Amino acid sequence: MAEPDVTLVEQTLRINAAPETVWRFWTEPEGMCAWWGTAAELDPRPGGIYRVEMEGGPVMAGRYVELVPHERIVFTFGWEPTEGAPDVPPESTRVEVTLAPDADDTILTLRHLGLPEQYTSEHDEGWSHFLARLQHATGTRLA
Amino acid sequence: MDLALRALADPTRREILRLVREAELPAGEIAHHFPTITRPAVSQHLRVLADAGLVDVRADGNRRLYRLQPAGLRDATQFLGEMWSDRLERLKLAAEREEWPERTRAARRTR
Repeated sequence: MAEPDVTLVEQTLRINAAPETVWRFWTEPEGMCAWWGTAAELDPRPGGIYRVEMEGGPVMAGRYVELVPHERIVFTFGWEPTEGAPDVPPESTRVEVTLAPDADDTILTLRHLGLPEQYTSEHDEGWSHFLARLQHATGTRLA
Repeated sequence: MDLALRALADPTRREILRLVREAELPAGEIAHHFPTITRPAVSQHLRVLADAGLVDVRADGNRRLYRLQPAGLRDATQFLGEMWSDRLERLKLAAEREEWPERTRAARRTR
């Protein structure tokens, strides 16, 4: 019995901000740089590419697949093939983020599908690190 | 101080601090010291250290250079220092208490 597309990484957290606010931190360069990268190029529409540079140089890249404003964002994910980057090419994995309002907060769920087994725990730790930063960053104001 | 101590609670991050203690190093060179760790994982460690104020980051063209920021350790160092001097204070009191009867006897004899 084969498992259908196993979810390897899944995280849920409560963010003390409205989904409209959290959304901006996923779709605007300034928002992205407040928690995820040090530089970001984003074209947030289906098929549009994104490229986020991480502290110290490695680059995460992929394409937006689905955007339902303030609710759901799906994108492909991978690393540009630089030295030492995980062997996870851009477009090779998929990340689904859902935002659900709960009173004044947002419940964010992130699922990362299709990662090679050997990189699962690293990405799991990576997401918890960065989502904690997102949780903190959403308390700051974007222009 | 919480961030600093949490940042220190990892052997790779402590090793990175040792590397950047004497010299300012680019991320790539730091990563070279950890052949079994991927670049993004090293980057994440650098991010944790920077967030905790334990390293300074400076852009040089498209490179980012890291160096130890000793001030980031000040609160933690002070805390550890206080704990240690409390111990010493207790040792001093215990030693003095131990010798106290003898001293008072000696004092009485000289009277």
